Amino acid sequence: MRKTSWSKALLALLLVLLLALAACSGGSEEGEAEGDSGGSDSNKSEDSGKKLYSIDDFSAEKTNEGEAIDGGHLKFGLVTDTAFEGTLNWNFYSGTYDAEVIEWFDEPLLADDENFMYTQDGAATFETSEDGRVFTFTIRDNVNWHDGEPVTAEDWAFSYEVIGHPDYNGVRYGEDFTNVEGMEAYHNGEADSISGIEVVDEKTLKITYKEATPSLLTGGIWPYAMPKHIFEDIPVAKMAESPEVREHPIGFGPFKVETITPGESVVYTKNEDYWQGEPKLDKVTLSVINPTTVVQALETGKVDTVDSFPVDQYPDNAEMSNVEFLGQIDMAYTYIGFKLGTWDKEKKQVKPDPNMKMADVNLRKAMWHAVDNNAVGEQFYNGLRWNATTLIPPSHPEFHDSENPGLAYDPEKAKEILDEAGYEDVNGDGMRENPEGEELVINFASMSGGDTAEPLANYYIQSWKKVGLNVQLLDGRLQEFNTFYDRVGQNGDDDPKVDIFQGAWSVGNDVNPAGLYGRDAIFNFSRYASEENDKLIEEGISEASFDVEHRKEVYNEWQKLMVEEIPVFPTLYRSELVPVNNRVQNYSIAFEWSGLHEIAVTQEEPMKAE
Amino acid sequence: MWKFIVRRLLITLPQIVLLSILVFVMAQMMPGDALTGLIDPNIDPAAIEEQREKMGLNDPWYIQYGDWISSALQGDLGQSFRFKMPVTDLVEQRLINSFWLGLVTLIFTYIIAIPLGITSGRYNDTMRDQLITGYTYIGFATPLFIFALVMLWVGGFQLGWFPTGGSVAPGLEPGTFEYALSKFQHLLLPGLSMALITTVNTVQYLRSEIIDTKQKDFIVTARAKGASESRVYNRHILRNSLLPIAAYFGFEITGLIGGTVFIETIYSYPGMGLLFMDSVLQRDYSVVTAVVLLFGIASILGALLSDIILSLVDPRIRIK
Repeated sequence: MRKTSWSKALLALLLVLLLALAACSGGSEEGEAEGDSGGSDSNKSEDSGKKLYSIDDFSAEKTNEGEAIDGGHLKFGLVTDTAFEGTLNWNFYSGTYDAEVIEWFDEPLLADDENFMYTQDGAATFETSEDGRVFTFTIRDNVNWHDGEPVTAEDWAFSYEVIGHPDYNGVRYGEDFTNVEGMEAYHNGEADSISGIEVVDEKTLKITYKEATPSLLTGGIWPYAMPKHIFEDIPVAKMAESPEVREHPIGFGPFKVETITPGESVVYTKNEDYWQGEPKLDKVTLSVINPTTVVQALETGKVDTVDSFPVDQYPDNAEMSNVEFLGQIDMAYTYIGFKLGTWDKEKKQVKPDPNMKMADVNLRKAMWHAVDNNAVGEQFYNGLRWNATTLIPPSHPEFHDSENPGLAYDPEKAKEILDEAGYEDVNGDGMRENPEGEELVINFASMSGGDTAEPLANYYIQSWKKVGLNVQLLDGRLQEFNTFYDRVGQNGDDDPKVDIFQGAWSVGNDVNPAGLYGRDAIFNFSRYASEENDKLIEEGISEASFDVEHRKEVYNEWQKLMVEEIPVFPTLYRSELVPVNNRVQNYSIAFEWSGLHEIAVTQEEPMKAE
Repeated sequence: MWKFIVRRLLITLPQIVLLSILVFVMAQMMPGDALTGLIDPNIDPAAIEEQREKMGLNDPWYIQYGDWISSALQGDLGQSFRFKMPVTDLVEQRLINSFWLGLVTLIFTYIIAIPLGITSGRYNDTMRDQLITGYTYIGFATPLFIFALVMLWVGGFQLGWFPTGGSVAPGLEPGTFEYALSKFQHLLLPGLSMALITTVNTVQYLRSEIIDTKQKDFIVTARAKGASESRVYNRHILRNSLLPIAAYFGFEITGLIGGTVFIETIYSYPGMGLLFMDSVLQRDYSVVTAVVLLFGIASILGALLSDIILSLVDPRIRIK
C-alpha cells in the first residue's frame, strides 16, 4: 500500500517535471526564433521561400468584369470582435465601426480630392473671401433628407450649435470649432448664438473664421449637417441616446436605414432621391464578422467585401479565387520615439530637458542606423509594410518628400557615430557606456497585441545590441494598450522610466504636424521642441502656405529637420488591403471615393471560392 | 424555511455593498479610462479633457463612488460613455440575448448529460461506459474557444446548416414568426457547441453518483424485495443520484445571465459576456461596475436558490 502510493507520487512528480520541461523548451524555441529574425539580414537568401508582396501591385479600384444586373443586394462585413456601439450620427459617434455604418446613409456636404483638398463636387459648393476667413457655402437644390425635407443651411448651422453646446457629450469639439468666430462665447454659455455663423438663405451658409489657414481647406471645416426638424426638440445631452440616433437615423446619403439589430447588423435600402442619382443596388446588408472567421465568410460568399482585412492573413489567402484584393497605402506609420523632456502641466506645453538619457542626437542617429526596417517589413509583414523614411507618409503624395531618404540601415556607421560621440565600452562587458563612463541602460516601452509584437520588439533590441547598446524592455514585458499610453504620457504624467517607445500614428487629412509634434501638443510624446520646429509648423499654416508649392517646401524642410533632430524616427509605412467579391463593380477603397451609389453587381448571389 | 430565506437575504446585503466597493475601486485602478482609446490626432485632446472633466473622471474615487451609488440606489446605473446610452437599457438589450442562449445551452446540456450519465453509471466499466468517459475526458481537455471555432467552421461554413453569426438574420421585423424562428436558428449552433463541452461535468457527476448509490444497502434491499432492474434504476437510484445535479441547478440558472465571452465573440453574438469583455477593454466603467454587480448579485441569489432546491428535494436536509 505504502509502496504504491510512493510510486504514484513519483509519477505525479514526473508529470510535473515533464510540464516544466515542456514549458522551458517552449521558451528556448522562442529564443531561437528571435535569433533567426535578428540574423535575417545575413542569410536573406535562405528566407527567400517567404513570399513578398508590394503595395505597388495593388489597385484601389475594383476591375469590372461582366455585365451588371439591375438592382442587387450587397453584403458588407464589418470586421470586429466587439459589437458596434450604435451611435449613428456623425456629430456623436466616436468608434470607427460606427463611422463605417454611418457612411452608407449619410455623407459630408463637402467632397475632397486625393490630396484631401475640398472640391466643388460635393453636396455643397463654397466660395472663399479675399482674406480666406469667410466661407460661403451653397447646398445643392436637390439634396434632401431621407424623409423628403430639403437639407438646409439651418441644418448645417445646427450641427455647429449642437457640438458647441455646453451640454454636448461627444468628442468633436476641437480646432475646427474653436476657430469659428464667436464659438467660444457660445460654448461657454456667454452667447445664445454663434456670431461667426450666418444663415443667409435656405441653402446658403456663411461661416467666418478667426484665422485663415490652409488647414481649413484640408479637413478643417465640419462638413456634416444634422436634420434640425428632427432633433430640434431633443435636449442636446439626450440626443446621442435618442432613437433618432440609434434606431431610425436618417441622412441624405445613397441608402436609407431600414432596420438595425443593435451591435450586429443594419439593413439599408436605396434612396431613390439621392442627389448624385439613383443608386444601382436595391439593398445593402451590413453585418458584424469576427476576425477569426472573415476568410471563411469571404470564401463561402457570406459577404461580398469587408471594411478591413487583417493584412497578416493575406499571404495565406492571396490566391482566393472569388475575390479581388484592392490595396492602398494606409494613412499611418509606426515609429520609435525618444523621451527628450517632460510635460509642463501648468503651461500646457512640452518642457525639453537636455539632461535626459536620450538627449544626445548622435545616440538617436545611431539607433536609427542600427535597425533594418526593410528586413522587418519583409520578415514580419511579407513586404506589406516597408521602411519608412519621413514623418509624412506617402498616403499624402503631395506632401510626402520622396527625395528624403531618412537614415539608412548601416550598423557600421552606427558604431562609428557612437564611437565618435564617446559611447564606448569601458568596462569590457560588450555594452557601451555613456560618455561619462556610466552604464547605459535604455528602457524600451512597446505595446502588446498581435503575434508579432513580441518578436518585433525583440528584433529591435537585438539590433541595438549588435551596435553595443543595452536596450531593455520596460519592466521586462510588453505594455498593454492603456498602460502604454498612460506611461508614455497621454495625460501628461510621463513615466520617467520610459526612455524610448514604439507606437503608431494614424494621420488625419491635414498634414499639419502641430497636433503631434507641436510645442503645446500633449500627443508630442517625445516632448521635443525647438525654435526651428515651431517656426516651420507655424509657416505651414500661414497665409503664404495657401500656395501649395510653398507649403510643400515648408513641409519638406520640416521632414528634413525631423530626420536631423530625430525626436522620433518612423519605422514602417503600412498598406491596407480589402478583398472584394468578383461580382461587385465600381467599388473602390480610395479615401476620396464617394461613389457608393455607383456600386453594382453582376449576379444575384456572391461568387464562391472553388 | 422563510426565516432562513430572510436571514440569507439580510446577510446578502452587506455582501453586495462590499462587492460594489471592491468592483468600483478595482475598475478605477485599471490604467486608462473610457477616453484613452480615442488617441487620435483627428480628435482634439482638449475636447477629450473637457469630457473627462464633465464626466467627473478626474475626481477621487470616493466622490465618484458616492455619486454612482446614490444614483444606483434610485435605479439609475449611469450612462455608458462608449455607447452613449443608459447602462440599464444596454444591459437589458444584452441580457435578453444571453438569457436565450443560456437557456438553449442548458436544455442541450441536460438532454446530453442525463442519458449519457445514466448509461455510463449503470453499465460502468463496460465498453459503453468507456466510450462515454472517453468523451468526457476529451471534453475536459478541449478548449471551448477552439471547439466553438471548429463547430462554426463545420456546421456554419462547410455544411452551411446554420447561420454563422449574430443573434438574428438582418432585416426581420421583431415580433413576427420568422423573427422568432431566425432567433432560434441562430441559437442552435452556439448553444450546441457550448453544451457539448460543458455537459461533461454533469455526465461525470451523474456517473459517479449512480455508481455510488448502486452499492448502497437500500438498493440491495430493493433488489431483495424483487423489484425489477428498471424499477431499481429509475425509482431508487436515479432519484437519489440527481441530488447533486439539483443542487447545481441554482448556479446554472445564474449562468443564464452571465453569458460566455468565447462563444459570444466567435459567433458575434451580442450578449452579456461580450458586453463585459468590451467594457473592460474599453474602460467603460459604468458598464463594468453595473455588469459585475449584476453577476455578483446573481451568484449570491443562485447559491440561495441552490440551497432551497436542495431542501425541497432532499427531506434529510432541513434548513433551520
